[in-house]
Amino acid sequence: MMRTRSNTRQNHLKLARRIIEVALERGMNRGDHLPETTLSEACGVSRTPIRSALKLLESNDIVLRREEGGYFLNHSPEEIGINGISRLDDMEGSLAARILSDRAERRITDVQSVSALVRRYNVPRSAVLNALKILSIDGVVAQLPGRAWAFQPLLDTPNALAESLSFRLALEPQAITAPGFDMDSQKAGLLRQQMEDFLRRRDGSMSSVEFLHLDCAFHSLIAESSGNRFVCGALLAHQRLRLTTQKDHSIPDFRLRQSLEEHLDILDSLERMQHQLAADQMVLHLRRSQIRKPQAVNRGLLPLARKGMA
Amino acid sequence: MNKPVIALFPEASFGSALNCVGIAQQLQRQGAMPVFICHQGFTGVFDEYGFKEYQLPASPKATSQRTEETWQAFINAHLEHFNQDPTTQLQTYVRPTWDAIVDSAIHAEKGLESLIKRIRPDAFVLDNVIMFPAIANAGVPWTRVVSCAETEIPDPAVPPYLSGMAADDPERGHFEAAYLEATAPAHRRYNAFRRRRGLAALPPGRFLETSPHLNLLLAPEAVRYQRQHPLPEDLFVFLEGCVREEAQFDPPPLPVNDEPIIYLSFGSLGAIDTELIGRMIEVFATFPARFFVNVGGFIESYQKVPDNVYLGSWFPQPSIVAQADLFIHHGGNNSFCEALYYGVPSLIMPYCWDGHDNGLRAAQTGTGIHMQRDTWTPEQLCDAMLTLLHDKSLRERMLRISRHMTKANGASMAASSILRALGQ
Repeated sequence: MMRTRSNTRQNHLKLARRIIEVALERGMNRGDHLPETTLSEACGVSRTPIRSALKLLESNDIVLRREEGGYFLNHSPEEIGINGISRLDDMEGSLAARILSDRAERRITDVQSVSALVRRYNVPRSAVLNALKILSIDGVVAQLPGRAWAFQPLLDTPNALAESLSFRLALEPQAITAPGFDMDSQKAGLLRQQMEDFLRRRDGSMSSVEFLHLDCAFHSLIAESSGNRFVCGALLAHQRLRLTTQKDHSIPDFRLRQSLEEHLDILDSLERMQHQLAADQMVLHLRRSQIRKPQAVNRGLLPLARKGMA
Repeated sequence: MNKPVIALFPEASFGSALNCVGIAQQLQRQGAMPVFICHQGFTGVFDEYGFKEYQLPASPKATSQRTEETWQAFINAHLEHFNQDPTTQLQTYVRPTWDAIVDSAIHAEKGLESLIKRIRPDAFVLDNVIMFPAIANAGVPWTRVVSCAETEIPDPAVPPYLSGMAADDPERGHFEAAYLEATAPAHRRYNAFRRRRGLAALPPGRFLETSPHLNLLLAPEAVRYQRQHPLPEDLFVFLEGCVREEAQFDPPPLPVNDEPIIYLSFGSLGAIDTELIGRMIEVFATFPARFFVNVGGFIESYQKVPDNVYLGSWFPQPSIVAQADLFIHHGGNNSFCEALYYGVPSLIMPYCWDGHDNGLRAAQTGTGIHMQRDTWTPEQLCDAMLTLLHDKSLRERMLRISRHMTKANGASMAASSILRALGQ
């Protein structure tokens, strides 16, 4: 029973995310009406699940319901683009998100029993099992023989970040150059607009957390456009892991802007079908994204470099 | 008209490096072209802030494996020295550190000289504790930045550098003599090197002369000393701190998320002492606050982090200090100045160098509490944090200091003083 309710909720969340995408694709603004019929046609589902998804969006303050008037957008497209989707991501399997966040912040160890998680979160055993199943889909946890579950490596330390970048350096250029690369131009256009909006912000107001969402969205788009299905699957799972567990992403504003401009340059090359150039630009972009601060320094000593520094 | 090229040369420490980033940001805003000369290991740090970098040539012997071995040996040798008093540290820590500083200056000279020929700067900003003859001989104005405590510039009414003692301490003479004795071998070698490079020898215990062009001191008025021999105003400018513009830090929500914020950072070197930080985290688990703890490169040493504690390897410090209610640190001068700049009280646990001086100064000026790092009990640590969080008169005093310092805008003052000294 719990499993069925959970699946229904997951579907409503997916639909809610799709509604946001439709609103953004159509250039809707704060206060614009969201007709159920239009959304039903755009999403290819009946009006009943659309209504449930709109209720979810309403409970998250993303849309507003007016008596006899239906649902209306309650935020500007920029706010919805980044914050709205991330809020929905947070909701999705919130126990799974809490478990993952606690592991990434080293509150729980890398091997856990279901009973220990039941005690820590004070939730039914079935809820813990469901959360672990959600996490296991992306390979974040794996069941050991017996009742324990083991976490796989997360992006929670500078060393893990360095390994993540090496992994991406090996695969992301391949994702672009593999035969069959095909990018959804509507998604690319939307992402371009969000990045350009972000670039227009003044220094000191560019949130690193919001940047991480944009960054993962860009690299996920590259992954899902790849003609190589294995590269696509591995990179998409890795980007989901980055989004939920990557720490220490405070980046100086200059580098943050430069990084977004590099994304835009890669999109330019892809739109011109210059795939090899885009792959080369990706190598440069990822190399520049390495953590460059030394691990430890002291007067008179050579600074201790971080692992993986090029 | 071409923009004046200002070459900033910070020592290989985060305090100096990031202090210089603040100055460079303002130099750029005021029409100059700041560039960085950086030590191996700092390459890329300044580029992330948008500045051109020139790296000093690396020693062919300096492989990453050798550097790691040197660091392991350093940790094995010095971790226990961090708990010693400043006088004892003269032999165990200060003496070998000065030896290493002199070695690094001698090693850097040739590469620095050729870099200067490439850059052809109009002026230098030297944020270091030692003079590099190539800079003094370059024939352009140079600014000395004293980003350590004010004690670096001696005066009878100012405590001896690195002593952690009051100016009128009866043991002063003993400490000064011990300092000269500890630094003498390095000093002899350094003076011989200076003479070979055409510079006059410096008096015992001194490794860096004051600049004949401009000297900048971070020391804010709130913690400044009344000098017996006031520094000439045309050559010495007090900056009221020098805080850089840094990325925004959004504190992540913690399982316990509605209490004051306490930020802890002992710098990248202090993070080596994972045992001390581990003991503190055990106390934090019992205290009603959210703790953000900089554990540097040692995050993998920690498990079972309490629900009110968040560990990070790096924080954009000005942004998190601005949001904090209390800052626990090692007395590094940048950390102390940032705490004052944002009106945040300090709980200082020094382990070396001018941290000792700032620890005492915070206590003397009522801007924080000075605590020994190895002798506290959990109750004492909690009491200190409670006092600093809830003392209303301290809060008001800190706010006044913050208003004064933010109004002064030290980084901007540094840039305009440098350009003025250059005749711009």
